[in-house]
Amino acid sequence: MDPAILEISSTADGELILTPKVPLNEQMVQRLWREIRQALAQHPPKQAVFDFREVHAMDSAGLALLLVVQGYCRARGIVVRHQGGGANVTRFLGFLDATAPAVGPAEIHHREHWVARLGGAFWENLLDAREMVSFSGSVVTAMARLFTGARRFRWRETLYYVEMCGANAMPIISLISFLMGLTMAFQAAVQLRQFGANIFVADMLSLAFTRELGPILTAIILAGRSGSAFAAEIGTMKVNEEVDALTVMGFDITEFLVMPKIYALGLAGPLLACLSSWMGLAGGLVVGVIGLDLTVGSFMQEAYDILNLSDVLTGLVKGFAFSILIAAVGCLRGLQTGQGADSVGRQTTSAVVSGLFLIIFADAIFTVIFHVFDW
Amino acid sequence: MEPISETSLVTPAEIIRVEGVDLGYGGHALLQDLCFSVYSGEIITILGGSGCGKSTLLKALVGLLPVMKGRVVVGGEDITDQDPETLTRARRKMGVLFQSGALLGSLTLAENVALPLREFSTLPAEFIDAVVGFKLNQVHLTNYDHYMPAELSGGMRKRAGLARAMVADPEILFFDEPTAGLDPITAAEMDQLILQLNASLGTTMVVVTHELTSILAISHRSIMLDRERHGIVAIGAPRVLQTESTDPLVQAFFKRQPGVIG
Repeated sequence: MDPAILEISSTADGELILTPKVPLNEQMVQRLWREIRQALAQHPPKQAVFDFREVHAMDSAGLALLLVVQGYCRARGIVVRHQGGGANVTRFLGFLDATAPAVGPAEIHHREHWVARLGGAFWENLLDAREMVSFSGSVVTAMARLFTGARRFRWRETLYYVEMCGANAMPIISLISFLMGLTMAFQAAVQLRQFGANIFVADMLSLAFTRELGPILTAIILAGRSGSAFAAEIGTMKVNEEVDALTVMGFDITEFLVMPKIYALGLAGPLLACLSSWMGLAGGLVVGVIGLDLTVGSFMQEAYDILNLSDVLTGLVKGFAFSILIAAVGCLRGLQTGQGADSVGRQTTSAVVSGLFLIIFADAIFTVIFHVFDW
Repeated sequence: MEPISETSLVTPAEIIRVEGVDLGYGGHALLQDLCFSVYSGEIITILGGSGCGKSTLLKALVGLLPVMKGRVVVGGEDITDQDPETLTRARRKMGVLFQSGALLGSLTLAENVALPLREFSTLPAEFIDAVVGFKLNQVHLTNYDHYMPAELSGGMRKRAGLARAMVADPEILFFDEPTAGLDPITAAEMDQLILQLNASLGTTMVVVTHELTSILAISHRSIMLDRERHGIVAIGAPRVLQTESTDPLVQAFFKRQPGVIG
């Protein structure tokens, strides 16, 4: 024990008198606490008296020390008393009794039973599903109002989003699709060359890209690029109370904020899916010509022969449906934003994840339907 | 202006000194030739109409905005040159309550308040918890430590922001519109809190506000700024300014007369 930090003496009544000789501040409290704990452990007293007459400075860390000491002594049945000290100390001592450990609401927040948590999660998902249905209803209603002429089409906003989500996405969609076509053709070429079936690389790529990969690749890029942007844009507006302001001004939020985005993606999505299919084929063509001794003419002719109208239409339908889903779920997540910047981040993530899930889910449904009807 | 020696910069009771300061954005001076001092333990309010540069001045005092001309000395540190080390030393002596509370939305109230201590102090976790409990108690939010900021009202968020601002026992507390957007009762509670903290801890407080009731309730002195005159138009005890100032802007401000400001 270091008497230069803490002087310890005891009285005949079993009182332990502890006299700190250093300031009760951030620099000293840890050393003091070690000394105090050691003293209390060695000679557990009935009463511990802290004499502050030699303490000339104190801050919140000093108060924290006294609170920790109080808790330690309470647990061991030691009564704590304070005496002495100048104005610097007494003004903090005044807070000591007022700073009681948190009770009340803090105790209510105990960990719930797993059944309750499971039920809570199920209920939340149910509410989310209800919101999705309700939101879908408002989107359909807004569309119906447009087609019945009750509302005007917002050309300016729609074209803005067509440019932002469609035209501006063309380079990345082209590049990814081209590389994907290139990779697939390379992988297939190794196998097909063994059977002298080089030309079938054109069949495989044209069918795969037109019916499946074109729309899917496009949708994945749109979900990451546009779905998240929609959620962040509307979410930030929500946080800044702009959505409330629009509502108060009498705007229909679905019509004003959501529909232009849905129309824009509905228009741009199928076109981008077409572009993706073309670029995928272009990638395959490069491999076919360079690595499989095919001519441009024979590759194109083979692709033309194998594709029929239903292949192209199913690709377009998928491209359209996926785009609508991405736009709708992005806007819905944006509107579900609560308060604070973290909520915007959460909803943006959720927009992408939900968008991807819905794309895959819808694709599975389309595949079954197209198979059943032999399209 | 004559150069001032280092020793004469801050007298013992003087905690902030602003000397011949020009402030503004993009080369345009919004405030010119500001000269005033803030003394240890006082509550000083910075007043003026909207857009007169109150918040700009506050930003300069906490080192968020470089001055165009002059010197700013806070807690003995000359922050004029924006030297990072000097700014860090100066900022250890200050706490700032932003207008919205500026709590981090992803952390609970206790975590928000503990943040400066966890980052910059050597205190162990149990001591930090004790300090946080004490600070939350001081702003009357004892049982809200586990709440997220989004779950609180505007007034509570501001009080929590105040707890965070003063968690490291700053010598000076800066407030940016502490009662803006609050109902009269909550605003009065905030005023009372400022007075209590000033009386109990002796912390110097610089409050930017245009709420007349708050100004009269809390200020020892007030500094009035004017957009048209690009500077300070009056300094003094608000009651004295209210009754004795002959400046038309000061009179209009305290009498709530329209048409003079801006």
